[in-house]
Order: sequence, then structure tokens, then C-alpha cells
Amino acid sequence: MVGPRPTDSSADGIPVLSLRGVTKTYSNGKSALRDVNLSVPEGDFVFLVGPSGAGKSTLIRLLIREELATKGKVMLEGRDLAKLKRRDVPRIRRRIGIVFQDFKLLPNKTVRDNVAFALEVTGTPRPQIKPAVERVLRVVGLSAQADQRPGELSGGEQQRTAIARALVHDPHFFIADEPTGNLDPLISWEIIQLLLRINEMGVTVLMATHNAEVVTALRKRVVGLEDGRVVRDEIGAAYHRED
Amino acid sequence: MIAFVGFSLKRAWQGFWRNALMSLAATASMVLMLTLLSGVIILWFGLNATLTYVQGEVQVVAYLNDSATSQDVAKLTTALKAMPQVTTVDYVSKDQALADFRARQPEVANLVNSLPSNPLPASFEISLRDPGDYMDVATYLRGQGAVESVQDIQKTVSQMTSVINVVSTIGIVVLVIVGLTVLFIIVNTIRLAVVARSEEIEIMRLVGASDAFIRWPFVFEGAFVGFLASAITIGLLLLVQAPLANLLSSFFNVLPVQANTMVGQNVALIVLATGVGIGVVGSYVSVRSYLKR
Repeated sequence: MVGPRPTDSSADGIPVLSLRGVTKTYSNGKSALRDVNLSVPEGDFVFLVGPSGAGKSTLIRLLIREELATKGKVMLEGRDLAKLKRRDVPRIRRRIGIVFQDFKLLPNKTVRDNVAFALEVTGTPRPQIKPAVERVLRVVGLSAQADQRPGELSGGEQQRTAIARALVHDPHFFIADEPTGNLDPLISWEIIQLLLRINEMGVTVLMATHNAEVVTALRKRVVGLEDGRVVRDEIGAAYHRED
Repeated sequence: MIAFVGFSLKRAWQGFWRNALMSLAATASMVLMLTLLSGVIILWFGLNATLTYVQGEVQVVAYLNDSATSQDVAKLTTALKAMPQVTTVDYVSKDQALADFRARQPEVANLVNSLPSNPLPASFEISLRDPGDYMDVATYLRGQGAVESVQDIQKTVSQMTSVINVVSTIGIVVLVIVGLTVLFIIVNTIRLAVVARSEEIEIMRLVGASDAFIRWPFVFEGAFVGFLASAITIGLLLLVQAPLANLLSSFFNVLPVQANTMVGQNVALIVLATGVGIGVVGSYVSVRSYLKR
């Protein structure tokens, strides 16, 4: 099963994500990414691994267009993010679900309201909000905790709330930035199981992680970043290189 | 659209009370500015109304020498009545002038009694068909030996115009300074509100909220500060309206009283527009610089 993956997408249409010769240099002269090429077809599940400071977070910021590449092209569903009009940025972000290590939940809102918030602030008509929220809460298994606030939840439940919020727009692409970084191993596995289920529903998943055990056990595609460069891109690989 | 407006209003209301002390301080400083604004406007309206009244005055008043004889008076009366520009001619004798003065100013009547002789001159009060003919009649009267002086309306008008100009200039300068200060306070109040919500704004951006959804709640919050301040100012003005109207009518005792309600409506509209306008502009500027990043 282990083998290199061609950097360019196969025949199955436009890749969800494609980076060509992407370089990101910050104004202080520091290069976070150097000549990165990456193509992720629809339905893929990709682990993004590498030491801290390798450029994983920068890559994710480029994907959600928080920042623009200094050189090269970042294409999401065939659209060049650099050419996106300002008012189209929110639209493309609704097609991306994203979760972080620190969950980013609003502490004074209940689980239900945290999830509903994502719909309210994007102008979803009120009658559509409630059923959509209940549906994703069922998917992540939090229907019973819907009226609790983040402070009353375990870390795993908080991350599942964040996942529910990221799912409520029916994204095509799901980004998880160290989603298990704050969680103990057992809870981490619950979150990974949830991400795998989301992937099975047809959503492309990109997960940045340091969790070697999970990566090695699942034998998915692994993209390794080091010092801003892609140093490996293998299907069915382990966390560490198995040369 | 309804969801958007409802969402924005709800968040604006929450935002106002989340930092109530700051919001109320902004409101209070805006009340101060709007009260000052109303004061300047009311004064300006009053002076202009007086000016219009004076300009529209179609009476020429000519004061006579004390040496003028009754023949002089009769001759002048006939000559004036013959002028086509003149409608009526009233002669007010020295005694009549004193009696009129006593009736108008009863408080100082005793003072006049103690004078050795009557200081008030006799006069002609001449009504004209058209105020434009004022100069013709005034020039004619100035040429007559019996006439001491002709009340110079042009002089009064130009004096009033310069008073109005000075009041307007000082008023505008003070208002601009106070207005900028209030704008600055609003910008900072809203900036604090934005910072307090930076976590929410970050999440909103991540889940794909448009700039409008991020911006308008704060703009509404600024508008709410402006609206509240305008309402308080208008309330204060209504409270002092009656004593103020008395004061004004005794100060400008020629001011036509029916102008008051119209002035009141104009002042209320200007106060409301200025208050809400500054609130909206201030918060728009504040959020804009934040969203630009």
C-alpha cells in the first residue's frame, strides 16, 4: 500500500485543493512555505505532519484565505484564491469547515447556540436554523448536551461542538488544525472516528497533527512538511518515514 | 434581510449594555453637544426672525427738534400725505411719547417724573406702501429743518447681520470642535466594543460571515447611542421650552410668536439627524479600520 503519490491530480476532475509552487514569505523576510506543490482530490483524507514551525499553520491560513501566497497559486475547487473578490471570501469559507486545537467556542452560549451562531451570522432564515442544528448535533452525538455551556463540557465534547459548528454549513472540505492536541488518547480516538465518518459522507478532510499513534494506525495519505517544504507525500503511510 | 436586521439590532442592543458605562458616557457627551447645537440653532433662528421682521418693517420714524413749531408740523404732515409712497402719517407729540413710554415701562415711570423736563422728542410715524421706498422718504425727511433725525433701519439691519454672522461663526467653530470630540469618543467606544467581541468576530469570519454581518451590529450600536442622546436632548428642550419661550419673547419682543413650533420641529429634526449621523459615522469608521486588517 505504501507508495508515492503523484503531485498532480488524477483523471477524476478538478481537485478540491491544489497548490502550485506556493511560497509564503512574511514581511520580516522569514519564509514559512517554499515552493509547495500539493493536490487533494475530492473525498481524500490527508494527514499534514511535521515539527512545529514547519509551515502547517501557514498552509492552513492560505487555504482559508486569511493570508495570500507570496508566489504560486492556491486553488480551492478550481478557484484561484488570490483572484477572489473580497465579498466572495465569506462564500468560499462556508464551503470549508474548520476546527482548531483550542475549539474557539463562545463560553456564554450553549452548545446549541454556538452551532446556531454559524448560521445566524451568515444570514440563514430562522426557520431553517433549528432543524439544521439538531441534525448536526445528532451527527456528533451531542443532542443530550445541547443546553449546556462549553464550561460544563469535557474537552472531547467541546471539540465535538466545534465540529458540529463546522459541519452546519455542509462543507465540502474539512480542515482540522491539531484537533486532538488538547485531548487525552481515548477522547482523541473519538474525535478521529468522527472525522472518519465525516470523510465517509464524502467530505474531503485535511488534518494537521502531531499525533503519531493515530496517523500510523490509520494508514492514510501523509504529507510531511519540514522547514516550509513538502518532504514527503505518501499514501497509506505511517507518522514517521518507513524507509 | 429580516434575519439580518433582527440579528444586527439584537447584537447592537447587547453591545450597548455589555459596556454600559462607556456607552452611557458616550451618550452623555453627545447630549452635551446636541444641547449646545440646539442653543446655537435657536439663537440663530431667533436673530434671523428678528432681522426679517425689521427688514419687513414698513414704518419710517422721524424725530423732530424741540424747536419745531406747530406750523412746521402741519406743513410736514401735508407734504408727507401728498407723497405717493406714504399711506398714513401719525404725529406723536412730546407729551404723547412720554405717556406711551410710561405705559410701556411702568417700572421706570417714577424715574422719568423726577426729570426737570420731558426728554422724549416728538416724532412722525409714517407707514409706507412698500419697504423699498424707505430711502426716498428718509432722504426727504433728513432735508427738513424741523427733523432732528430719522431712525436708520439700514444701520439696525447691518448691525443685526453682523451680530448674526459673529454668532454663526463662533457657533460653528465651537460645534465643529465639540462635534469632533464626540466623534472621537464614539469611535473609541465602538472600538472597545469591537475588541470585546474580537473572539466572536474571529469565529464569524471563520464560519463565513460577510463583512456586513460583522459591521452593521456596531453601526447600529453607534446609531443607538446617537438616537438615545437625541431623545434625551429633545426631552430636555421640551422641559425648558416654556421658560425659554418666555425669555425669548421678552428678549426679542418683536419676535412673531407663531414661529416657535416650526423652530421646535426644525431643531428636533436637526438634533436627531446630527446625533444618529455622528453615531453611524463614528462606528462605521471604527469597524472599517478593524475589518481592513
